[in-house]
Amino acid sequence: MVASTQGECGTDEGLKDFTTQEVGNQGYVQRHNTQMFAEGRSFSGNERDKLWLNLGDGQWFDVSDLSGCDSPNDGRALVTCDFDGDGDLDLFVHELQRERHALYRNELGTLYGNPIRLRLRATKGQWEAIGATVTVTTEDGTRSLPLSRGAGFESSQPGELIFGLGPDAEEAQVQVRWPGGAVDEYTVGAGQSVTLVEGGESEPFEVVRCPLPDPLPPGLRKHTGDTVPPLAVMNGSDEEVELDPVALADGKPLYLNLWASYCGPCVAEMPLLQKKHVEGEVRVAVLSMDAPADQPKAAAILKKVGATFPAFYLGAKASAGGTAHPIEELLDLERLPIPTTLVLDAEGNITDIIRGPLQED
Amino acid sequence: MKSIPIHSVLALLLLGACGDEGSTPAPSDQPGSSPAAEEETAPLPDRIEIPDPTDRITQLELVEDESEAVADRLLAFSDKVRRRDFASAREWLSDDFAGESMSGLPVAEERERPLDVEEISYDVSAPPIQGPDEFLAGVASLIAPWSRVDSAIWKVKGAEFQRGRPHWGKIKLFIHLTGRGPRGGGEAVKAWGYARVKQVSGTWMVDRFELTSLSTSRRESPIFVSVAPAAGVGYVSTRFGKPGNTSFAFNGTACADIDGDGDWDLFVPSDGRNFLYVNSPEGFSEEARERGVDQPDGGTGTVFFDFDNDHDLDLVVGHVDDGQTAGTRIELYTNDGQGHFTRVPGGLGLGSKEVVAYSLTVFDYDGDGWLDLFACGYGITAKEHNNSWVQATNGSPNALFHNEGGKRFVDVASELGLAGNSWSYASAAADYDADGDVDLYVANDYGTNNLWRNDGGTFTDVAEDLGVLDPGNGMGCNFADLNGDGRLDLYVSNMSSTAGNRILDRYADELDPQVYAILKKSAAGNTIFLQDPDGGFTRLPKKNGGVGGSWAWSTAMADFDLDGRIDVFCTNGFVTGDQPFDT
Repeated sequence: MVASTQGECGTDEGLKDFTTQEVGNQGYVQRHNTQMFAEGRSFSGNERDKLWLNLGDGQWFDVSDLSGCDSPNDGRALVTCDFDGDGDLDLFVHELQRERHALYRNELGTLYGNPIRLRLRATKGQWEAIGATVTVTTEDGTRSLPLSRGAGFESSQPGELIFGLGPDAEEAQVQVRWPGGAVDEYTVGAGQSVTLVEGGESEPFEVVRCPLPDPLPPGLRKHTGDTVPPLAVMNGSDEEVELDPVALADGKPLYLNLWASYCGPCVAEMPLLQKKHVEGEVRVAVLSMDAPADQPKAAAILKKVGATFPAFYLGAKASAGGTAHPIEELLDLERLPIPTTLVLDAEGNITDIIRGPLQED
Repeated sequence: MKSIPIHSVLALLLLGACGDEGSTPAPSDQPGSSPAAEEETAPLPDRIEIPDPTDRITQLELVEDESEAVADRLLAFSDKVRRRDFASAREWLSDDFAGESMSGLPVAEERERPLDVEEISYDVSAPPIQGPDEFLAGVASLIAPWSRVDSAIWKVKGAEFQRGRPHWGKIKLFIHLTGRGPRGGGEAVKAWGYARVKQVSGTWMVDRFELTSLSTSRRESPIFVSVAPAAGVGYVSTRFGKPGNTSFAFNGTACADIDGDGDWDLFVPSDGRNFLYVNSPEGFSEEARERGVDQPDGGTGTVFFDFDNDHDLDLVVGHVDDGQTAGTRIELYTNDGQGHFTRVPGGLGLGSKEVVAYSLTVFDYDGDGWLDLFACGYGITAKEHNNSWVQATNGSPNALFHNEGGKRFVDVASELGLAGNSWSYASAAADYDADGDVDLYVANDYGTNNLWRNDGGTFTDVAEDLGVLDPGNGMGCNFADLNGDGRLDLYVSNMSSTAGNRILDRYADELDPQVYAILKKSAAGNTIFLQDPDGGFTRLPKKNGGVGGSWAWSTAMADFDLDGRIDVFCTNGFVTGDQPFDT
């Protein structure tokens, strides 16, 4: 079979033969793949992780595109766990691509339902109760999960089960089928965290809050407090120039706005930037993310709104030994959402990062 | 029954290409390019209707070579769209291009979906016909409000090519754009259509586009946000394939409260070194070295469990040595109760057995109160590849390590009949039949799976009887009640292949039905089996969305929105390189 990838496709075989035949040159696939991946080629690549919401009755809603956890980085193992203790389930994914560790904070909280948080303690066998089945029933229905330790692919789950009760249920009936077959019933109130003990006892436990921080601004390599150095950019006359924040600020705060002609919200806020520039309390400069061929479009937009602030473009190369730094020191152009506005002090230090459109105030 | 090149079907299905990389021989029954001179000033047609080729190329290798060439061209075009570099994207459209507009169409239906997702489908019955620049401007306007384009894919879902001159083809396209809105919420565009491609100066270009559906969806704010770098767990190494990240020993992860402080910590085996992210109200702290688990590196599946019943969580880590040798091992570390670990040489017997273990599952199979360890046995690809694509029998044996009072582990897989010769990739344990003992499902690559029913410590494979063989490439598995009837159902990750389905669709009428069914299942993606009241399982039909996925790996069964129903998340994708081209 593998030999066919070397140009020997095309012999006819029946089912019996092809299910049992010698598959081909030993190790060929591995060598072939190793070479292919060394060259940076993909093989079933850019397949993003998926999230399906269960709608009941065998219906599923694919919300992956909007999930924020649809990474294309070739995920392998994963665990879901309430790492921050806020009641919803976060995700940790071990990705093959770039050997990357990804942590996603669930932003839903209790918007669509309240949780109960259950830990188990068996008294007759292994205390962890691995393999127990927990069934939770409310007026809205029933759901069951086993307490697993090693499931999915290369993944091991925490010793805690979180069940959603929906928005209305005030309590749930919980049944635990313990390893060994004993069955106990419990009542657990919405929002409660309890350890269910084999035999029917239960004990509340304190949830440890470990807040997960907000995401770093995507696409930026500098953060609040960092200094933006002079950057190598183009001006509107196809000349390489320096975007020097200190010079542009001229003793005042500087709004460095990152935008593009194709970005509707960016274009919409240009009059506001011009207004701020004219008012003079802050300095304004804009840096377009347009590809070189589209830069005339960007210039035309600025002209149309009567922009008089300095405008810069991509495309310059920082010369060795020069004072200007490459733009990549500030931005990851692949990941930068726009509009983004950096607020700099007169020394070029970032004091604020405004993501999304500017507000009048 | 027409005889077809089954080797070719499978090779293309599973490996994605036939022929040397980068060298696509000119089809022997096809001439080269057609003249491009008349393309300059052709007026726009009144309507776009791309006919099927009247004399299509049928030889699989030739048509797939062409399909892949067009697919690569469209992926390069997609990359320009993702960058919103429409000036460059213009080069992929011929000067006489005429296409149905993707923007400014009347709304056919607006729907509010779960999680306040707004979904709009558009009326594509009479879209305006546009030239190349206007068409691209329309695409640009679709995504103009977005703050970032995450993904743009123009994917070839089907392709037929006309034999002879001029050389052209009809492409079935799925267009998928995703990004972020101004407030960080998700944005997406999905469209289906047909493109006509023709060769201009030896290069495939699009000259017609027919839109058959268009929908958008959006949510104001994000569901998840990526916080790994900010939280101190954002380790990033080199691209896969480069030195330092070449191992096919895919590394796993395990979560537990290792130090008994009530919060959840993470162990992440990795290449070069392992990571132990210790959680606290102050955040995560990476302490693998201080806590004794930074080496040996390269682990695969890993599990925390209390093997010696001293009420702290010990650690086991599988290894496959990148499939290069049979000298694989399972490492055991004991926990001192404070989250500091000591490696146990030989692992109390776990290290005595060579197991090519990607995934590990812990359960007490015999109910003696001591947790046992099941280790999936894969194959050693560097020594010997799978001897069949659909029922390989040369995998290495599984192990079931019986825990003898926390003193030692003894492999009892052979005597209990679980060793087998499949390429076992993943396993999950649960008492699916609610009889008090814990059963085991094993997902196998290149074959059917096993459901080992536990009857008081002895096992019987009931996968075939209960309808959960799930032939194909099993990559992951979980139990959960997915339809709210209180019975545990079964989810299995599998591979799905666009190329595979595209190829198979060419042979739907020509293949032996049994062969076709097996191959089609191999390319079909994830499976849900719902448990019936009588204890059997029924495969959930893939209507209304399904959970098809792509090349899927691990999964989580969890109620992410807390609405009372168990949702499914799965990881996807084999290898994503720097280049946009794919197999």
